[in-house]
Amino acid sequence: MRRVLAGDTRAYARLVERYRDRLARYAVRMLGDLADAEDVVQETFLRGFRSLERCRPDGFGRWLFGILVNRCRTHAAQRSRRRELVVNNEAAVANASVERAEPQEWQQAIEWALEQLSPDQREAFLLKHVEDLSYDEMEQLTGARVPALKMRVFRAREELRRLLMETVRG
Amino acid sequence: MERLIETLKEPVQLSPDFDARVLAAVERVAEDAHRTRSVTSIAGWLRGRTIRLSPLGASGLAAAIVAAVLIGSSIVDREAAPAPPRPAAAGDQVQMTQFVLVAPEARSVAVVGDFNDWNLSATPLVREAGDGMWWITLPLSPGRYRYAFVVDGTTWQSDPDAPAAEDEFGRPSSVVSIGGA
Repeated sequence: MRRVLAGDTRAYARLVERYRDRLARYAVRMLGDLADAEDVVQETFLRGFRSLERCRPDGFGRWLFGILVNRCRTHAAQRSRRRELVVNNEAAVANASVERAEPQEWQQAIEWALEQLSPDQREAFLLKHVEDLSYDEMEQLTGARVPALKMRVFRAREELRRLLMETVRG
Repeated sequence: MERLIETLKEPVQLSPDFDARVLAAVERVAEDAHRTRSVTSIAGWLRGRTIRLSPLGASGLAAAIVAAVLIGSSIVDREAAPAPPRPAAAGDQVQMTQFVLVAPEARSVAVVGDFNDWNLSATPLVREAGDGMWWITLPLSPGRYRYAFVVDGTTWQSDPDAPAAEDEFGRPSSVVSIGGA
């Protein structure tokens, strides 16, 4: 960060390399589309660069992730039309089985199931179980209170379980 | 559920040129910031100075300013940015303030606010080539300004990256404070 602040913009490549994978994983899971996710992660890095002077060196990663969570919310809200699902849902769900699914079918079934959650539930579930954040950290990131976040995570788990079990029975 | 979470934790594969695209965009932002700092430092140098010129010198200076503006316009590789809505008064500690909205599907975006009398046509944003980012940099004097974005001339939108502001008409708007105001 010191090198970047001193004007060496190429040093920012190290920061991109360090944080890119985590940001991309969250954005892809949240938005369900690789191209959208890449756009949002790029915006996040640009906003991070523009505001680098205001960030504490030891908190850059967390701060960047906070920008990403907000950008994902904004991006989802700005999509005026419901995007076409990346996967062929019907075929994916019909072919998926929790017990013996081929990796690709299982992946598609998960993407479909995540898509069925409300954005709030999907966000809470990913932050808790994929990013391994505490509820206090989630509260700081999202602005939602801890009891509401716990309820969202609970409902998301129940809904995902129900959706994926249906694929087995189906 | 454990298998699902395990799958979701797996890394995703980005486009091979992703890092290069990000860094190219960062370079562009850095160049813009450098230009802005140059303009600000020239303004700072001029501020508070009294320049006395003969009529011949004045016409020479005017010609030089016109040339500088023309050269500056040709350097900027975007559409010509509109003039600031209200020039800061002499002696003001002007701060260059950037307004940014991501709106890939918008045909036009303008910013309206206390600084341009909420004029819909005064301050259109410029679209960044290649992505959905609209932006403009305005010189603002110290103060607290309420503002909003207007997409396609009709849709009012607050700034998702700024605090919300009260609007007596019930429209979404945001607030920006310059100079600790």
